[in-house]
Amino acid sequence: MRYEFDWGLLWREPYFGWIVEGVLTTFHLALLAWVLALCLGIVIGVLRVTNSRVLRAIGTTYVEIFRNIPLIVQLFLWLYVVPQMLPREFSFWWNRLDNVPYWTAMIGISFYTSARLAEQIRSALRAIPPGQFKAGLSTGLTQVQVYRYVIVPYALRIIIPALTSEFLTVFKNTALALTIGVIEITATTRRIEAWSFRGIEAYTVASLTYIATTILVILFMSWLERRYQIPGLIKRGEARA
Amino acid sequence: MNQPIIRVENVGLRFDSFVALDDVSLSVNAGQCIVICGPSGSGKSTLLRCINGLERFQKGDVWVDGVSVRGCQDLPKLRRGVGMVFQHFELYPHMTVLENITLAPIKAKGLSRKQAEDLAFHYLDRVGIVDQAQKHPGRLSGGQQQRAAIARALALEPKAMLFDEPTSALDPEMIAEVLYVMRDLARGGMTMLVVTHEMGFAREVADEVVFMDRGRIVEHAPVDEFFSTPRAERTREFLNKILLKL
Repeated sequence: MRYEFDWGLLWREPYFGWIVEGVLTTFHLALLAWVLALCLGIVIGVLRVTNSRVLRAIGTTYVEIFRNIPLIVQLFLWLYVVPQMLPREFSFWWNRLDNVPYWTAMIGISFYTSARLAEQIRSALRAIPPGQFKAGLSTGLTQVQVYRYVIVPYALRIIIPALTSEFLTVFKNTALALTIGVIEITATTRRIEAWSFRGIEAYTVASLTYIATTILVILFMSWLERRYQIPGLIKRGEARA
Repeated sequence: MNQPIIRVENVGLRFDSFVALDDVSLSVNAGQCIVICGPSGSGKSTLLRCINGLERFQKGDVWVDGVSVRGCQDLPKLRRGVGMVFQHFELYPHMTVLENITLAPIKAKGLSRKQAEDLAFHYLDRVGIVDQAQKHPGRLSGGQQQRAAIARALALEPKAMLFDEPTSALDPEMIAEVLYVMRDLARGGMTMLVVTHEMGFAREVADEVVFMDRGRIVEHAPVDEFFSTPRAERTREFLNKILLKL
């Protein structure tokens, strides 16, 4: 291969500035989408196991809509279709916002992820002995309090490994935001390539960003897993002490 | 006689075609300890769950300290007045023993953390496991877990306690330590309704014994009478079986 590498390019302006901005955009887009997805996912996951038929139907409908349409299609729907279906005043306000594509991507990714999370949370909730719920109620906690303080914290501890891979998925899914005009790290590398014809260097930056971040996240999550491991429940790779 | 703390009147409950409780009536006066026994599936545990509104019944009503369970607008408040202890303890495994006990007093009753912890230590001391307060339930023996669960129920300062086979999941040594705590409670004047097969406990501590079969109360008698001269054939049969086992 006759290709002269020029890694120094990445440290020169304007490319360096672009990269920093792209990485930061990817980070906060992923984090915001994740936080929103987790909140929504917990609520929807709980709705899916309640006694109320209506609430369960709402939960099921939500999950089936948001996990069965490809994410990229959802992003286009949020950008082009949804604003037209909302009241005029709202779409005026929405379209005048700075960074409409950014907020659209955030909403699109978090709704899609929340449907997937809701399913994980539902399966964890079902794994919790029903006696826990009765015990909570018997001490005079309300249903909402039992979920809030007993059932959900217990469930989240069970599914930390699953949450890790969901977060990694969200993080990588942010790359799709480039299709609706968000300049995150993948879009940035395309731009660098277009300006400098240095595709290998540019895409290396994107790949390294993703890999380095995901590894950090995995390390953090396995620390979290140890920190919040429930004492006395069977630990990975070892029998009960 | 004063007003009963728990009054069950003609309660009937069915799951589809299965009759779980059939016209059950029972009252527990302040300071009384009543033991309920009977074969599995006879409706003992279901009856307890009807008393604190964990199970909905179709017929009759239950009054707890004068408040009707059926018409109750504030079930959480009613439930705070009735402690419940479960066969499988049902401590929250992700919290320490102390957190298990203080959760409801803080969140449901509105006590400050300090007040709740003082209460928790008081009752942990009473059940003899003050030194286990900072541990998670998974680190405790079965008997210690059940005692922690009793402390959790007591910390709400209930008017009555319901025990749902509290020793059935324990091995013999641990059964003794839990029964010891329960005996102590009964002697201290706690109103108790206990589902158990520990006939030794019944004989020693209970004022009255109830025998249930297929959702009905077959026999309800003062403790001496129950063991010496059981009236129903079904009771005699049951007593023979479980006493033989010992």
